Amino acid sequence: MAVAIPQEAVRGRENYLREGGLLSWLITIDHKRIGVLYGLTSLGFMGLAGIEALLMRIQLAQPDNHFLSADVYNQFFTMHGTTMIFLVIMPLGLGFFGNVAMPLQIGARDVAFPRLNALSYWIFLFGALFMYSSFLFGGGPDAGWFGYANLTERFFTPGTRVDFWAIGLIILGFSSILGSLNFFVTIVNMRAPGMTFMRMPIFVWNILVASILVLVAFPPLTVGLIFLVMDRFIGTHFYSTVAGATPILWQHLFWIFGHPEVYILALPAFGIISETIPCFSRKPLFGYAAMAYATALIGFISYGVWGHHMFASGMGPIADAAFSLSTMIIAIPTGIKVYSWVATTWGGDFVKNTSFYYALAFVIQFTIGGLTGVMHAQPAMDLQQNGSYFIVAHFHYVIGGGSLFAFLSGIYYWWPKMTGKMMDERLGKLNFWLICIGFNMTFFPMHILGLGGMPRRVYTYGAGFHWAFWNMFETVGAFVMGVGILVFVIAIIQSLMSAETAVADPWDGRTLEWSIPSPPPIYNFAEIPHVHSKDAFWEMKHGRAQESRQPAAQPEHGAGGHGIHMPAPSLFPILLAAGLALVGIGAIAWLRITFVGVLIVYLAIIGMGFEYGTYGEHPSKERGDDAFPLDSRKVGMWTFIGSESLFFASLIGTYMVYKGRDLVGPTAKEILEIPLTSFSTFVLLMSSLLMVLALAAFERGNIRAGRNWLFGTAGLGCVFLGGQAYEFTKFFREGVTLQHNLFGQTFYTLVGFHGLHVLLGVIWLLTLAFASFKGMVPKKRALAVEFGGLYWHFVDIVWIVIFSLIYLMDKVTGA
Amino acid sequence: MSTAQASELAHEHEEAPRASTRVYVEIAVVLTVLTVLEIWAFYVPAVQPILIPLLMVLSGAKFALVVMFYMHLKFDHRAYTAIFGPLLTLGAFIVIALMIILAYFLGAPPTA
Ligand code: HEM
Ligand SMILES: [Cu+2]
Repeated sequence: MAVAIPQEAVRGRENYLREGGLLSWLITIDHKRIGVLYGLTSLGFMGLAGIEALLMRIQLAQPDNHFLSADVYNQFFTMHGTTMIFLVIMPLGLGFFGNVAMPLQIGARDVAFPRLNALSYWIFLFGALFMYSSFLFGGGPDAGWFGYANLTERFFTPGTRVDFWAIGLIILGFSSILGSLNFFVTIVNMRAPGMTFMRMPIFVWNILVASILVLVAFPPLTVGLIFLVMDRFIGTHFYSTVAGATPILWQHLFWIFGHPEVYILALPAFGIISETIPCFSRKPLFGYAAMAYATALIGFISYGVWGHHMFASGMGPIADAAFSLSTMIIAIPTGIKVYSWVATTWGGDFVKNTSFYYALAFVIQFTIGGLTGVMHAQPAMDLQQNGSYFIVAHFHYVIGGGSLFAFLSGIYYWWPKMTGKMMDERLGKLNFWLICIGFNMTFFPMHILGLGGMPRRVYTYGAGFHWAFWNMFETVGAFVMGVGILVFVIAIIQSLMSAETAVADPWDGRTLEWSIPSPPPIYNFAEIPHVHSKDAFWEMKHGRAQESRQPAAQPEHGAGGHGIHMPAPSLFPILLAAGLALVGIGAIAWLRITFVGVLIVYLAIIGMGFEYGTYGEHPSKERGDDAFPLDSRKVGMWTFIGSESLFFASLIGTYMVYKGRDLVGPTAKEILEIPLTSFSTFVLLMSSLLMVLALAAFERGNIRAGRNWLFGTAGLGCVFLGGQAYEFTKFFREGVTLQHNLFGQTFYTLVGFHGLHVLLGVIWLLTLAFASFKGMVPKKRALAVEFGGLYWHFVDIVWIVIFSLIYLMDKVTGA
Repeated sequence: MSTAQASELAHEHEEAPRASTRVYVEIAVVLTVLTVLEIWAFYVPAVQPILIPLLMVLSGAKFALVVMFYMHLKFDHRAYTAIFGPLLTLGAFIVIALMIILAYFLGAPPTA
C-alpha cells in the first residue's frame, strides 16, 4: 500500500533556490544553499587544480622537457595537491554532500548552528582565495602539499610563498573545525524522533565519523603550522637542528593530521556509495551493523597509523613495527566495507545509470588503491616505494578513483533532489567512460614507473631511463579525463537549462530526503517525520511501519509548512570571515591590518551572539518537542573544548619532546620560579570558584550578584595575566627569548597560548558582565554564562596540567 | 525512544541548582590543599624519587574535581562526558606517543 508522497514540486516562494535575489546568497544560512555554495566553489578550484595537473602532464610527456621550469613545476605540484585535498575533495565531501544531504537524511530542518555553517563556508572561501593570491605576489607555494621542514624554513625558502601556504592552511583549518563541530552536534542532537544511531543512514554515519576526525586531526596540524609561522616570522627554531630541534617533529604533527585526513576524504565517499549501490541494486545494504561499526573503527584506528608515512625517516624498529601492524589492521574494516558493497550488488536488479556506474568503478578502483596501501604498510617494501611514482599511483587510486568517483556518483544521485531537474543519461555515460578510461590510463602506469624507479616531485627526467613511453601514455590519458570532466560540466549546464521535471522520489529511494519535494522547500519537512526503522522512507512507502505511523505534527507546524519559523539570514558570518582574512593579510602585508581584522572578528562575534533574542535560552523548551534531549550549544561547547584539548596536547607534547635538549642555558630547571607560579595557580583556581558562583547566581536570577562574581573572576584572570607578564619580562631580561633556546621557544609558546586563552576568557566574561547591565542576560539566559564558564574552567584545567608538568616536574629532566 | 528522551529532557531541565555554594567552596578548599601538597612535594628531597607519579596523581585529582564539580559533568547528562572523555584521552595519547617516538629518535638529551 502506498502512502501519499507530495509529488508536486514546491515552486516560487518556498523553493529554497528561488527565495530572494542574488544578494540573498551572501547572507543565507540555509544548509542547502550553503551546500550549493561549497559545491560551486570546489568545482571552481577543481578546474584550477585540473589545469595545473594538465600542464604538469605536458611537461612530463617527454624526457628532458622544458615546457615548465622547475620553479613553476614545484609551484604547480604543491598547489595541485593542496588544492585537491583542502579545496576540492574535503569541501565536496563534507561541505557539499554533508550540507546537501545529511540534514535531509536525518529529518532535520537545518543544521544545529545555521550561522556557524555560513561562517565555515565564508572562511573557507576567503582562506582559499588568500592562499591562491600568493601567485600574484611572487609565485605560488612550492614546498609540497606536505610542506616538509626544514625546506619550509625561511633560510631555504625565502619570500612569501610558504607564508601564504601556512597562514592559508591555518585559516582553512578554522573553517573545517567549525563546520565539523556543527555537523557533529547536528547528528548527535538533531535526528528526527525515533532515529536511533543504529537507524541512521550509513551516509550519516560516515559524515559523523569524518567530522570527529576533523576535530581531532586539525588541532595538531594547526600547532605544526603555528610553529612554522613562528620559525619564519620571528626566528624560532622549532624545526631546525641548529638549536637542537628536529625537522622530524613537523612530519609527526603533519601526519598525525595527515592520515586521519585521508579518511576525512574517504569516509564521505564510503557513505555515498553505501547509498547509491543499494538504491540502484534494488536491495537493502548488506550488513548494516557491520558497516556502521567498521566506519567507527576506521575512524578510531586511523589516528594511530600516521607513522607509515615516515618509515624512511628512521623511527626505529619498534615504532616501524607498531605502525606497520596498525596500518595493516586498518585494512580489515576497510575490507569489510568493500565486502558489504560487493555483497549488496550480488543478485541485484540493477538500474544501470550513470550514478551506479560511478559507484561500481569506485569499488574496483578504491580496492586497487587500498591493496597498494597494504603493500607499503610493510616497511621494507615501503623503503622501495616511498618517494616514487608508486605512491602517486596509490593515493590517486584511493582519492581520485575512490573519493572523486564516489562524489560523481553522489552528484548524479542527489542532483534531482537539489535542483528539481534530471541529468541527461547519454551525456552521463559519455562522461563516465571518458573519465574512467582517462583515469586508469593516467594512473595505472604510474605503478609500473614507480617500481621502475621514477621519483615523484621531479620536473623532468633523462631519456636514458626509458620512462618516456608510459609518461606520454599517461599524458594522453590525462587529457581524455579532462575531456570527460568537460562533458560533465556540459551535462550540468544542460540540465540546469532544462525544465524542472524531477519528482520527489525519482529513484524509489530509501531515506527521508526522498519524502519531500524536489527541490525541497526552505524548511525541508512540513512535518518532522517519526522514524521506526532504518530505511525510514522505504518503510513508509512499502513497509509495516505504515500503520503505526503517528502524525508527528507539532501544533505550530501546520500543514504545508505555514507558520514554520526558520531563523533569519545573517550578515555576521561573512563579516566575521572577512575579518579573519584581514588578520592573515595583515600578518604578511602590514601588521596594522591584523588589528583591524581582530576588531571586526570581535564585533561580529558579539553581533552574532546577541543577534537573536533567544541567546542563552533553552531552545528545546521553547519548541516544546522531545526530539532534543541535550542543548545543542552545550554539546558544541564540550566538543570545542575536547578539540582544544588536542591543540594543547600538541603544544605540551612538543614541550616535553624538547625538554632538556637545550644547547645553551638557562634552562627550565635554572630559571622557573615556583613561588610566584604557585601564587598564580592559586589565583586561577579561586577564579574558577567565583565563576561557578556567578553561574549559580544567574541561574537563581540574582543578576547583580552574578555580575559581581563575573567581575571578580575576570579580575583574578587579570591578576594571573599580570603575574605572567612579570615572569616573561624577567626571563627576557635574563636573556631567555623566544629565539634563545628550545626551552624559551616551547615555554613561551605553550604558556603564551594558555595566557591568550585566559585573555579571551577575560574579554568573554567582561562582555557578559557589561551586557547584564543592559538586561541582556536575564535568568532565562543563564546558559550564556554557563558557556563562558565552561571555557573559563577549561583554561583552568589546562593550567593545572601545565603547572605540574612544566613547572614542578622540571627537576627531572628527560622525563 | 521518545519516552526515554523525554525523561532525559526532564533531567536536563531540572531547575534545582547542581550543587550548593557550600559544596563549591569545599571543592575550592580541597583544590588549594592539593596544590599545597604538590608544592610541598616539590621542595622535600625525600619525595623526589616518586615526585613524578605523585604529581600526576595530585594534579589528576585537581583536574577531575574541576571537571566534575565546576564544569558540572557529575551532574549533567553523561553524553557530555562521553564527548569530552575520548577527546581528552586522544590528547594524552598524542603527548605520550610523541615523547616515546621522538625520545628514541633523538637519543639521550645532551644535558642528561
Ligand atoms: C587500506 C587503506 C590504506 C592503506 C593501508 C594505506 C597506506 C598508505 C601508506 C603506507 C602510505 C605511505 C606511503 C609512502 O609515503 O611511502 C600511504 C600514502 C598515502 N595515502 Fe594511503 N593507505 C590507505 C588508504 C588511503 C586512503 C583512503 C586515502 C585517501 C582517500 C589515502 C591517501 C594517501 C595519500 C594522499 C598518501 C601520500 C601522502 C604523500 O606522501 O603525499 N590512502 N598510504
Ligand atoms: Cu596514511
